Amino acid sequence: MSSFGFGLITAAVLAIATVGFTMQFAVTNVLNLAYGSIMINSAFVTYYVNQHGVTPWVALIGGVATGAIASWLLNRFVYTPFQRRNLAPITVVIVSLGIDLMGTFGLQAIVGGGYVSFSQSQGHEYHILGMFLSGLQLIILGICAVVLVGIHWLLRYTRLGKAMRATSANKNLARNSGIKTQFIISTTWLISGALCGLAGTVFAMNAGVFEATSAQLYIVLLLSAMFLGGPGEPYGAMFGALTIGLSTEISAAYINPQYKEVIAFVVLLGMLTFRPFGIFGSEKTN
Amino acid sequence: MGAYGFYIAIVLVYAAVDAMACLGLSIEFGVAGISNFGFIIFQSIGAYAAAVLSMPPASSSNGGFQKYVLGWHLPWPFPWIGAAIAGGLLAIPFVFIVGKRLRGDFAAVGLLVSAVLLNLLVTNYVPLLNGDAGISLVPAPFQSYWNPQSLGYQFAYGGVSLLLAALVYFVVNRVTESPYGRSLRAMRDNDIVADSLGKDLRMQRTSILILGGAIAGLSGAILVGFITLWAPGAWGYAETIVLFAAIIIGGAGNHKGAILGAILVPVGFEEITRYLPPVGNPELIPALQWVAIGLLIVLFLWFRPDGILPEKRRILSGNKNAPPPAPTKADDESDALIKIGNIDELNFRELLRLGEPVNDHRVILSTKGLTKSFNGVTVVSDVSIDILQGRLTGMIGPNGAGKSTTLAMLAGTLPSSGGQIFYEGNDITSLSSHKRAQAGLVRTFQLASEFKKLTVLENLVCAIPGQSGDTFFGSLRGKRMWGAEDRENIERAKEVLSGFGLSQYADAYAGGLSGGQRRLVEIMRALLAQPKVLLLDEPMAGVHPNLAHKIGNQLTKLCEGGMTIVMVEHELSIMDAFCDPVIVLAEGQVLAQGTMAELRQKEEVVEAYLVG
Repeated sequence: MSSFGFGLITAAVLAIATVGFTMQFAVTNVLNLAYGSIMINSAFVTYYVNQHGVTPWVALIGGVATGAIASWLLNRFVYTPFQRRNLAPITVVIVSLGIDLMGTFGLQAIVGGGYVSFSQSQGHEYHILGMFLSGLQLIILGICAVVLVGIHWLLRYTRLGKAMRATSANKNLARNSGIKTQFIISTTWLISGALCGLAGTVFAMNAGVFEATSAQLYIVLLLSAMFLGGPGEPYGAMFGALTIGLSTEISAAYINPQYKEVIAFVVLLGMLTFRPFGIFGSEKTN
Repeated sequence: MGAYGFYIAIVLVYAAVDAMACLGLSIEFGVAGISNFGFIIFQSIGAYAAAVLSMPPASSSNGGFQKYVLGWHLPWPFPWIGAAIAGGLLAIPFVFIVGKRLRGDFAAVGLLVSAVLLNLLVTNYVPLLNGDAGISLVPAPFQSYWNPQSLGYQFAYGGVSLLLAALVYFVVNRVTESPYGRSLRAMRDNDIVADSLGKDLRMQRTSILILGGAIAGLSGAILVGFITLWAPGAWGYAETIVLFAAIIIGGAGNHKGAILGAILVPVGFEEITRYLPPVGNPELIPALQWVAIGLLIVLFLWFRPDGILPEKRRILSGNKNAPPPAPTKADDESDALIKIGNIDELNFRELLRLGEPVNDHRVILSTKGLTKSFNGVTVVSDVSIDILQGRLTGMIGPNGAGKSTTLAMLAGTLPSSGGQIFYEGNDITSLSSHKRAQAGLVRTFQLASEFKKLTVLENLVCAIPGQSGDTFFGSLRGKRMWGAEDRENIERAKEVLSGFGLSQYADAYAGGLSGGQRRLVEIMRALLAQPKVLLLDEPMAGVHPNLAHKIGNQLTKLCEGGMTIVMVEHELSIMDAFCDPVIVLAEGQVLAQGTMAELRQKEEVVEAYLVG
């Protein structure tokens, strides 16, 4: 049961990260492989604000802002100009790998290779439904729940959310229907970037200690959660994250924990091979 | 000499190994368009294979301090041969990812995570290849006869490595410059179209992934025989990005560029940073190296996407001296040129090797209850049509009527959701599109579908079926095997080209032509694929009306000669002049069928068209 608790936290963090990642894919059709590097950079911004005596729960505003601004800049000044050139989609993915190297190792060049951790207490330990969860973990769960409900509300009930869904379904049709797609895409990158920054910070909090390359392989979990639920589908991302998060942590209780991520790899390769449009999805028009 | 000599020998070996790896990646990515983000695992499996094939059994020696499988203690060159085989075999499981019609970037991600997964498994599962610590004390070839630490040995090693690198260059160049290489580049530029012309994408990707894998495996064997150790730290997934950086900077698709990139990036970076004084924290210089690799990739893709040595344009027309015409985008001008074409005089029967006309107007292609739905929305519903042999059948209907979707299902570009398709009496509903094309069912596309980085002439020649140089092994046998045949094919293509008045663009990249010209290239290419049934999707859009009618006349002649044509077209005057019968589709269903004159009498047809 305790592994279920771990799985829940992992899944919650992964859900926030995957929703942001999949939203970027939905509106711009880019697999932003630099996502993990923005996550860890955001976590370090939170860490430095925290070092100046600010509680991490306030400092994370800095991390969220970093994620939002960095993602927006990346889309505005790198991905969009490359896409305008009408190159093969793979070119932009290669660019995103280059950006990932610059983001991750640029950070390492600045902060060095050592592990750091936030100055924050783990809080009391609570015993809920047979799971042992620390106060910190409960707060992380709470934040994730609030954010996911917020995203649901945004997509379902606001004009902005509807415009985002329309843009992701068919950009040209959305533009012809009077939606300012450029504005919607920019806003989506701001919001998804904020999710990226938040995910990076809570990922680091949950990990306890972290360093510049800690999130380098997080992209594998992101990708498998996204492909499980269907690329570009925010609700699919939540489902995928829950499945991947729980199954990796629960499997860790039964097999060598060093192999716990293997299940995510297998899911991802299986999805790419058999159902690249997701477990619920079907192939799209065009 | 002394220390310098050793240093030069080391650089030679590294240069040869990196050049080989870059050549393998260059033919995969630069020529065949396979984004193998897991390339490094092919080098790695070669290194491990060479190690465990040359080492004694793990239990018997080395005091048992390391664990590994095999341990066959084979003499050189068997470990190296085994390494190349291992690299080639490793390609086979990945065919399931890259062989399908999967988006290139999705397949790339699949390869990337496979590389990460394999590294994770080898790192953690110690009995396989000694885990994280890696394998050491790998025997150098001939070490019992010749001291590997001697200068002579090291230079000999460097020499053999360079020879093998030269051999690899020879092989990849031979494949690239053959008709098969042309098909590979066509697949790179537009795989769906290459498929529709009868190219077996899965086969092409498999063969190149195996070739690239074998090359990478051999390079790993050379490396491990020299440095005598190999561990997971040496083949993190990011090492692949270094190789990508090398060929992007050198010039993807130009194998000389790949070698230049290998010298500049992996070799250059290692050597330059060796002399930097230690500054800052210990991670600083390696970290900055990675930053520089990332920055170089982004800057080159932006400022010089074709690299320092761009891919060369292949001049097939024989006009080596004539400068390529500046491709014009102005349709008026190009159409003026088009009018001088002698299309009326072309003898397509001979050019296309059509043989004796058979014209019995039997049903050659038919559908029963053909249906297509996307996400629950039915686009084509229960369409049953019979296409008669030797007829020019038209297909009209308002936008969204399902014409293009029907055509795509006939050609196999889209799988149908229900119903059956019959061709020459056989049920071909589940036959793949390249097999349908090989059987003579060829289509064109509504959207621009030229192979952009192939010249106009290459676009045409690559469509000709049955070329003996258009198989992997045919390409390896060289020009002596396919040269004469290829020259003949080029002459045929040139004749068609002059008929359409585009001779002067023979050696221009097809991607630079105007919209109307690209349509013509596509029609010519489809004809050279020697179809029995030709499916044309709005072939006249953007073509000058005068020329459209000339083409229409030729199509009619082809039908008289036994070809069957189905043409989707909006221009009713074309339908009036050439098509009989005409099928009207509306809202995914067959509304009516008959001659244009008959159709004009039918109220529902006129209404559907006007309302649509």
